[in-house]
Amino acid sequence: MRKLLVLAIFLRVLVAAFLFHPDIKTYNYQASFLKKGVFNIYTYLVENKKSLPLKDDFVYFPLTYLAVGSYQWIASPILGKSFDSWVASAGSSSVVEDPNIFKYLVVLKLPYLILDIVIAFLLMRFFENKEDKKKAFVYWLFNPFTIIMIYVFSNVDIFPVIFTILAFLMIKKQKLFPASVLLGVASGFKLYPLLFVPFLFLAGRNLKEKFILAATPLVTFGLIILPFISGAFFQSALVSGLTTGIFTSDFTTLGLSLLFFYAVLVDKKINLFNYWVSLFLIIFSFTLFHTQWLLWIAPFLVILSVKKSIYSRLIFFFGMVALAIPVLYQDRFMSISLFRIYSTWYDLVPTPFTIIQKVYDSNNLMAFLHSVLAAGSLVMTYKIFKEKEVL
Amino acid sequence: MKKLIWFTTITILFLVFIAPAFLALGIKMIPGENQPGYDPAQRLSIYQTRNVTQQFTSQDANLSAIGTSIRNPNLKNKKDIILTLFNENMEIIRTTTINGQNVEDGNFIKFVFEIVPNSENKTYFISLSSPDAGPEEMIEVFYSHNMPGWIEQYTYDQEVQPGGLPIVLYFKPVSKFAVIKDIYSNWFSRLLHLNSQKTS
Repeated sequence: MRKLLVLAIFLRVLVAAFLFHPDIKTYNYQASFLKKGVFNIYTYLVENKKSLPLKDDFVYFPLTYLAVGSYQWIASPILGKSFDSWVASAGSSSVVEDPNIFKYLVVLKLPYLILDIVIAFLLMRFFENKEDKKKAFVYWLFNPFTIIMIYVFSNVDIFPVIFTILAFLMIKKQKLFPASVLLGVASGFKLYPLLFVPFLFLAGRNLKEKFILAATPLVTFGLIILPFISGAFFQSALVSGLTTGIFTSDFTTLGLSLLFFYAVLVDKKINLFNYWVSLFLIIFSFTLFHTQWLLWIAPFLVILSVKKSIYSRLIFFFGMVALAIPVLYQDRFMSISLFRIYSTWYDLVPTPFTIIQKVYDSNNLMAFLHSVLAAGSLVMTYKIFKEKEVL
Repeated sequence: MKKLIWFTTITILFLVFIAPAFLALGIKMIPGENQPGYDPAQRLSIYQTRNVTQQFTSQDANLSAIGTSIRNPNLKNKKDIILTLFNENMEIIRTTTINGQNVEDGNFIKFVFEIVPNSENKTYFISLSSPDAGPEEMIEVFYSHNMPGWIEQYTYDQEVQPGGLPIVLYFKPVSKFAVIKDIYSNWFSRLLHLNSQKTS
């Protein structure tokens, strides 16, 4: 196990150092204001937009700002004095040509590495026997999908993900109240865990417990955002495309509603794990998702793969399809431009979208892949419910 | 599980060490330098007989394209935009045309032409015009008097001024292997740069 862990860390450091998505620079620039004493980043960015070199709003929720900003403050002696000018730079070429970029990326992605390893150990706790524990450890650390999602795309969603895993560890122990607190904390980083509130409500054994379980994540979330509430916060984070994007497809709303009414009217014994997994399978089936979102479900698919090995190949196939879809977006930073650290000459290479467009409609290909993913996800959802107990 | 470990290890090593070489096979031309900085407020308008001529020295052999940022306010220009390349005796050696409807406002536009061999260290002129466009269909190019030495001077409205357009020259690489070698050597040189090892 120790050798595997060293290999896993080595692979992650390689990807962390050499592949660059500009999101990490954007949100670290915004989070750098914490060490300068800015607490409400939302109003600060809106009020000072004219004088700031980077004009983007802070689209994440407060705990992301506090977590990334605090870590940056702690790591600032290692990052060095030139970091602040690098992170604030608007030059697209000078940013990747800075020889310090390798150091910056490894240091900035270090918390993800730590959390990633912690997740591997947490996943082992979902299982009793040694063989299953090892499987969970290996499936998490040695699948290329999560390495790409976390280290290539600098996925800040790993913060809420770890809280959702902790919540399900509580659910496994039948401790539903701490689980709902943890889901509330997770939503302080990213809003998606609140989608689960209706199912928490249904999982309560009596009306009082139902209300407590449903209200707790909302209250926790409310307390986290309370000091930040302002027009700027609503505009930047609460109604941003990153938050509301899930509901851009009517089919997603339809699918999630079906899931809810099935739980209300048909299901006699609610298995929260099944609903959690199905919720995201439905979302990724019908929504034009960001690559980063795939991380929300990844640890739970590892659990499913270990518990029901019959699914493991299918889930691997889903992973390939799900990662291929965003690569086809007409967005250079989903493909070619991730390699700009090696050379800015890659700016002259056409995107996969453009290359495919010469022989076939790229949008059609994306729709085809999405349909395959949707069909597979829906059948898997059906089978999960048919087989009942997973967690 | 062993298969998965091998698969992931090979995938990641491929992604980090081999994929850059593989992608480099798609690079058909390489830029001489990054685009020089410019002041977005300093612009020259081009329409009818109003054109701009830029003198420059080619940094390398096999000149194959020239790019610069062009404004097409409200995307009104749907007429031809012509780039003419002259040698130092003002003889036309290449002409290339794009249509204004392909020029989004402020985009960096590349004019690609047949390779000019032996272009290294030679002086050339480009003229950028849109003769069929009326004043309301004008396009605009940016300029600055502080340009790198190889962007020598420009002529606009019969006046010669130092500096000029923030252009980028593109050259056909000697070989695919040379491109890959350049990419990896550039990457290694930055990787081994002392600063990247230091902490303050």
